[in-house]
Amino acid sequence: MDLHILDHKLRVTSITKTGLQQYTHPLIKLIFLRNRTRCKFFSLTETPENYTVVLDEEGFKELQPSEHLQVEGSTWLPLNVVSNGNASSSSQAVGVTKIAKSVIAPLAEQHVSVFMLSTYQTDFILVREKDLSVVVETLLEEFNIFREEGGESVPVHSQDACNGLQRNGREGPHATVHPVLIPENQFCVMSLDPDTLPAIATTLIDVLFYSNSPKEGASVDQDMECIKFFSFSLIDGYISLVMDTEAQRQFPADLLFTSSSGELWRMVRIGGQPLGFDECGIVAQISQPLADSDISAYYISTFSFDHALVKYDLIGRFSQHSVYFHDVM
Amino acid sequence: MSSGYKPDILWSPHHADRYVICDTELSLYRIGPAGNSETKAGALPLSEETTATLLAINSDAPYMKCVAWYPKHEPECLLAVGQANGRVVLTSLGQSHNSKCKELVGKEFVPKHARQCNTLAWNPVDSNWLAAGLDKHRADFSVLIWDISSKFSSEAVPAEKVRLSGDVDSGLVVTKSLYELGQNDACLSLCWLPRDHQKLLLAGMHRNLAIFDLRNTSQKTFVNTKAIQGVTVDPHFQDRVASFFEGQVAIWDLRKFEKPVFTLTEQPKPLTKVAWCPTRMGLLATLTRDSNIIRLYDMQHTPMPFGDEVEPTIIERSVQPCSESIISSFAWHPSAQNRMVVVSPNRVMNDFTVFERISLAWSSTTALMWACGRHLYECAEDAGQGVAAAEKDIATKMRERAQLHYGHDTVQVWRNHVLAGGDDPHLRSLWYTLHYILHCSQYTENVEQKQQSNKQSLIYSGIKNIVKSSSGTTETRRCWSGSDRQTDVPRYHSEERSLALQLCGWIGRGPDIDVEPFLKSLEQEGEWERAAAVALFNLDIRRAIQILNKGASAEKGDLNLNVVAMALSGYTDEKNSLWREMCSSLRLQLKKPYLCIMFAFLTSEPGAYDAVLYESRVAVRDRVAFACMFLNDAQLPRYIDKLTNEMKEAGNLEGILLTGLTKDGVDLMESYVDRTGDVQTASFCMLKGSPGEVLKDPRVQCWIENYRNLLDAWRFWHKRAEFDIHRSKLDPSSKPLPQVFVSCNFCGKSISYSCSAMPHQGRGFSQYGVSGSPTKSKVTSCPGCRKPLPRCALCLMNMGTPVSSCPGTGKADEKADLTRDKKLAQFNNWFTWCHNCRHGGHAGHMLSWFRDHSECPVSACTCKCMQLDTTGNLVPSDSV
Repeated sequence: MDLHILDHKLRVTSITKTGLQQYTHPLIKLIFLRNRTRCKFFSLTETPENYTVVLDEEGFKELQPSEHLQVEGSTWLPLNVVSNGNASSSSQAVGVTKIAKSVIAPLAEQHVSVFMLSTYQTDFILVREKDLSVVVETLLEEFNIFREEGGESVPVHSQDACNGLQRNGREGPHATVHPVLIPENQFCVMSLDPDTLPAIATTLIDVLFYSNSPKEGASVDQDMECIKFFSFSLIDGYISLVMDTEAQRQFPADLLFTSSSGELWRMVRIGGQPLGFDECGIVAQISQPLADSDISAYYISTFSFDHALVKYDLIGRFSQHSVYFHDVM
Repeated sequence: MSSGYKPDILWSPHHADRYVICDTELSLYRIGPAGNSETKAGALPLSEETTATLLAINSDAPYMKCVAWYPKHEPECLLAVGQANGRVVLTSLGQSHNSKCKELVGKEFVPKHARQCNTLAWNPVDSNWLAAGLDKHRADFSVLIWDISSKFSSEAVPAEKVRLSGDVDSGLVVTKSLYELGQNDACLSLCWLPRDHQKLLLAGMHRNLAIFDLRNTSQKTFVNTKAIQGVTVDPHFQDRVASFFEGQVAIWDLRKFEKPVFTLTEQPKPLTKVAWCPTRMGLLATLTRDSNIIRLYDMQHTPMPFGDEVEPTIIERSVQPCSESIISSFAWHPSAQNRMVVVSPNRVMNDFTVFERISLAWSSTTALMWACGRHLYECAEDAGQGVAAAEKDIATKMRERAQLHYGHDTVQVWRNHVLAGGDDPHLRSLWYTLHYILHCSQYTENVEQKQQSNKQSLIYSGIKNIVKSSSGTTETRRCWSGSDRQTDVPRYHSEERSLALQLCGWIGRGPDIDVEPFLKSLEQEGEWERAAAVALFNLDIRRAIQILNKGASAEKGDLNLNVVAMALSGYTDEKNSLWREMCSSLRLQLKKPYLCIMFAFLTSEPGAYDAVLYESRVAVRDRVAFACMFLNDAQLPRYIDKLTNEMKEAGNLEGILLTGLTKDGVDLMESYVDRTGDVQTASFCMLKGSPGEVLKDPRVQCWIENYRNLLDAWRFWHKRAEFDIHRSKLDPSSKPLPQVFVSCNFCGKSISYSCSAMPHQGRGFSQYGVSGSPTKSKVTSCPGCRKPLPRCALCLMNMGTPVSSCPGTGKADEKADLTRDKKLAQFNNWFTWCHNCRHGGHAGHMLSWFRDHSECPVSACTCKCMQLDTTGNLVPSDSV
């Protein structure tokens, strides 16, 4: 297996719902006018609380600081696992599940905080730049690690990292048990030919920026039967969309790509209070049991909470596991 | 969505006149000659000769991303279209509905997870197999190999799921692929390897070029590289692959797949298409974005594979098919040589043939050879009889002259102009000048030895210097011979002037100044006008008239000469006579220059002879002789100087008379060589220079060396040897010193110290004479230590023993004259040995041995002596 440290330096930010109007211009530019910006990594996720924007430094320049913009202080680097060679992988499970054992668990043991971002195309594991040496040391046993620099893949060896294992020095994993929330709505993960993006521009703008207006009456925070969750990412020219079936109906069917089986997903939201960025082991706690029972999942971290997407028909099994997980912790 | 979409071109694999343009729809065009389709409506001009006619349009497949044409003849015009959502649709163009492919058309191949289809490739052998390269998906494969003949998927796709992936004619959808390759990676480009149709070359997102073998898909060969945007296999060299990324093209050798063999110079803009020419070895065309030129890289002479230390030889050039317009795409014609069609973003098409580079080679003779494409042209000089000698190339002339021994006649020097063909008046004048110079110098050598050195050098220094040194000129006024009328024409005499007249050939050597022998010889050659003029200038008007009469009555004579004689006879020295008046005006209408100057002389005032002196059609020697007779000491050097400069500038060989073989003469010859390139004449002429001063001039040495090289290049080795001998006779300093000596095996001393002037031969074999007179010599032992010399490998006699009989010379055709036999016999005694095995013997024996063998005559030796001698196998083209 190969692990690629991608050539993006990322910032994790959040825009409040009320402050969105200040940022519509840069966001539209980043989404629709690919040729006008040098941003290569852009992800926007709407949750009931806020908008989480993950972007590289080129894109970050577009966002003017204001009281509505919250920025996580560190620079994050995306990691990407490539199954090298074995074309016929036996495991059916995809996404976070597949890398749970090899990446997420070891990082959790080393107290490295991770920020997950799954897309239609692949899974990105974001780690803090300052944790990189620990990450390399930890994962070098399992992976061939390459660092991408200016289009070239440069192999990373252990001596490139700091001498010895430099522990994060944090305490052992919190025994925190986070409440989970499983809303009723069903989600689909889709993609789109970037050339056809203009064709769905109006719909996309409508869904992204005006989603609150029709249901103003209902309090979003209270109504946990269905929660608003919409994610758009444009990374290295690839578009990935996560939306619930209700939003999906607004898009022309023939333009969005998805699996031919048309699979649907249920969401598990982790955390009752905003999770912050320093706690580690959350992803590991969720993904480990899923991996044990070979359940495929998407995992999208946002500024406040983490979200796992599990196959519609497997959500029952997840619930059992999470009960089990609660018990153990 | 079509705004960003640029049209691409695809040639039909089987119809040389059809191609498809694909942008948002597929348009089938037929290409035809411009002439007959001009009248047809809708024919688009592609070039001056060709037009294209639109045959069919297919817009069934929206969101088209890539197209591939079915490679087999049947069904023709079946196309696979890869769509933005990853589906591959089979479609057809311009086919009637009863055609074979009916059941295939409309068939769709759907991947599990929708994403863009980047590339398609039909297997060249198993043409049912279609490989599709897709963008990445986190859980799916990026390369799917579909079998187009496979049955439709039996399980009907659930209706509500179909809705997500667009409308589907469920009957025609295939979802089960034959092979799946490349998990969670994107495939940007792929091609089947023509050497092994089970192998597939992929260019993937994770900076990999990978070769999969379908017989064992878990194994792959891969290499990490940036150049993954496109791959294409050289159709002429199936191990050579070009792949590109941004502006860079990497060339790979699949047998050494670890790294690119070389990369081409990076372009500032990203590449959009890279294609090998299917009709020409090793020609790669590349196109960059928003460019109006196509760059061509010629790797024909690039060795494959080559070592790391070798710099690849790639010839790079660019073509501009449609002058200003940007090129969107291009496609090589599958069979017409170097032809391509280019299309601009607004669908303007252009038929274009890349003109092949022309390589050109001169032969050592005048022939010229050039190659263009698959044609070879030879341009040789027309050797037919109709070609005038003057029009021949100087190289041809020199070759012919060399074969005629031009320049080698040292006895009758003037005859060399006959050897040169006898049709060049300048050469004729030159050789006569040299003849007179040598003649006079021999005479003075014999007769006046006391002042030899002074006078000798004066003869060679030309009339210009002779008249300058003139002193004690006497002036006489003679009568017209045959009459007692006193002329008022002063005539000048001096010793130097007589010498000059001798050099001009007017009078013989010695004190005799009679012009009569010269007149006789002119009469013999039928140069009546010239003879008459010379007679007249010697104030013998009666002789002149007599000559003219003779000329008129001679065979093929010109009767007009009688009329001229008549006019001449009416000469009067009366200043204002009608005769004078008429002659001075009418003489200009005379076509013959000599007749013209006769009347000019008669009608001129004494001392004012410009009409004679500057009549350029008259030979320089006659004008100079005239000037020496009639110009005074002040006028003469001025005139000679002026004329000399004229000659030098023009490179006129007649001027050698004036300059002699001096530095001036070399200057003159330099401009002659510059004008004609005739180093042969220059070399021979300058070798005649007696004091050898001129031979030291670097220009002269250069001409001589060039002439020798030229003879070598023509393989006129015997001629070159003759020239060298000739040269060493005239210029002893050019004789090469012996450079190689045979030393005794025992004492190490040279055994040939007595023969210092031994000729030396070229490479491979070296032959040495043992003694100056081998027939008499009994030298079979070293003169130093008296030990015996080595034995000849063939006759087993000690070297130094004269060759008794040589089987080779027994042949009838080689029994030439005695002198040659004798020379050969001398040569037969020479030492000869192979530089490799060191075996050898008598040259004669060795020669006859190697006539039939290539191996060494020594029994245990396997040395292929003869094959080591590269020049030994060349045949001289001037066999003596």
